[in-house]
Amino acid sequence: MAEIMIDAKSIIKDFKITKGLFLGKENLRAVDGVSLQVSQGEVLAIVGESGCGKTTLAKILLGLLKPDSGSIELCGSKIDQIPRLKLAKTVQPIFQDPYSSLNPRKTIGSIITLPMRVQGEKESTEWTKRAFKTMDLVGLPSRMFNQYPNQLSGGQRQRVAIARALINKPKIVICDEPTSALDVSVQSQILNLLNDLREELNLTYVLISHNLAVVEHMATRVAVMYFGEKVEESETEKLFSNPQHQYTKTLLSSILPPDPRQRSKEN
Amino acid sequence: MAEQVLNVTNLSIDIPLSGDVLHAVDGISVSVNKGETLCIVGESGCGKSLTSLAIMDLLPQKAIRTVDKLELNGKSILNYSDREMSDVRGNKIGMIFQEPMTSLNPSFTVENQMIETLTRHRNITGNSAKKLAVEMLEKVGITPAKPRLKQYPHQLSGGLRQRVMIAMTLLCQPELIIADEPTTALDVTIQAQILELLKRLQSDFNTGLILITHDLGVVAKIADRVAVMYAGQIVEEGSVYEIFDNPSHPYTKGLLSCIPVPGKIKKGERLGSIPGMVPSLIGKFTECRFAGRWTVEPSKHDEKISTLIPIKGSKYEFLVDGTTNHIVRFCCTHCLERSKSKINKGIN
Repeated sequence: MAEIMIDAKSIIKDFKITKGLFLGKENLRAVDGVSLQVSQGEVLAIVGESGCGKTTLAKILLGLLKPDSGSIELCGSKIDQIPRLKLAKTVQPIFQDPYSSLNPRKTIGSIITLPMRVQGEKESTEWTKRAFKTMDLVGLPSRMFNQYPNQLSGGQRQRVAIARALINKPKIVICDEPTSALDVSVQSQILNLLNDLREELNLTYVLISHNLAVVEHMATRVAVMYFGEKVEESETEKLFSNPQHQYTKTLLSSILPPDPRQRSKEN
Repeated sequence: MAEQVLNVTNLSIDIPLSGDVLHAVDGISVSVNKGETLCIVGESGCGKSLTSLAIMDLLPQKAIRTVDKLELNGKSILNYSDREMSDVRGNKIGMIFQEPMTSLNPSFTVENQMIETLTRHRNITGNSAKKLAVEMLEKVGITPAKPRLKQYPHQLSGGLRQRVMIAMTLLCQPELIIADEPTTALDVTIQAQILELLKRLQSDFNTGLILITHDLGVVAKIADRVAVMYAGQIVEEGSVYEIFDNPSHPYTKGLLSCIPVPGKIKKGERLGSIPGMVPSLIGKFTECRFAGRWTVEPSKHDEKISTLIPIKGSKYEFLVDGTTNHIVRFCCTHCLERSKSKINKGIN
């Protein structure tokens, strides 16, 4: 049996929304009792429309937000008992927009090595060696070490973000819409890369996406979220061939297959 | 022969930069018939959006547009003054932009913005204009429409805003609609609805539609004809079935192999990819536009080999065998050879 990497139990997260100057506050339940279990080497996809709490859930799993109730265990220990630096070595994010997730004033080299600096490692030749190795791993030429993000294309920037996430060898990577800001030709490169890295480094992914074709290609299991609740979860093949919940059915029927001949069938 | 709404011949857009020129669009020709949907696909930075702006004469001031023919409904709009052009825009050509939040004015209500179009182009004001606006909002599926009129854009969701945009565009019943990535910022469920809506309204009003997108799923769903753009040129164009069934340009093949197709690619199997990135369009091309972008191993799409018939009067343009309007363009001998070698392989 594979080791359970993420064990989240009935997570609830509320946000207080101001209704108006003197009108007091309203409760918005962003995540409503979601439980998830992800074992080693799995790719769990979370799908749902915007505003259904996918990103909030991701932030909670990253330890960036505290849930109002519920418990999360990462690799067997409770998330609030893991020290911050150790948590950063366990779980890392890859964000949606590589244009805003990289500091424009820092070189690629210093962006990639920042996690090591944060971990308090001494700067050494070993350091740069590891940075070059990671850059090589994600397919970035080493000459980019001293370049700035604005000199890079979208795909290359996303590779930098991936390198930064992987340099401290995390066990879990949370990808929040990793390809939705990219062209299809670049998207396929990044997806291939993520797949290769998973095998090579034995990673566990939580993939958040609204592109169902990507989800079907990448995920082993899919959880569907709707208004903060998890309405369905099953193996990818099972979910796509036999959706149970009404919302999942709607979602699947809105996939646009890249085949003009399937058009007549739908209508 | 169906009636042509738009006919653009040999359109080029040059943007002078300090000491050099960026050739954003390089001699493309586009035409759209009544009730037809033309999809322009391509990677970012290949000149799709500039093409649509050039048709509307909305290019940035620095950009230089050269075009042989620019006809709307058989009438040349090439030498129209600014005043005449603004009678055309919104009236005869409607435009739907990608991000509905930035294209609607945040400080005016939906009613204000919708009625403005009517007042400007049709001289309809007051209650009759309001009535038309309500009718149109209902047509695009906003019910009840009346309370929405008094709302501001920030009070509407992304899908609703895009519907308002579409309703505004349709108010004057334009002959041509240019939609620049109309669904990219929207959720999949809403995307499907909006595309459905566009398709239905288009057949109701018999308008021509130019849809710019990079999502091949959208193309497959809505297009009649497809033009694949790369580095400022149209490399392949033809009916949607021809493009998807029998892509003849290596770039189109590469693009099609990039998308994960449910059921076609097995789990864990690698997706095809196009290495490298869109070349810089600054200065003249000395080498092939596709240099560095060829896939090393031929992808599976290459199994199907098409025979090409040269088109008279041009060196690198070919008609795909057995069709009348499936055209492939190569940029140089190198990339012609590149795909020709594949053709020969198939015949042997």
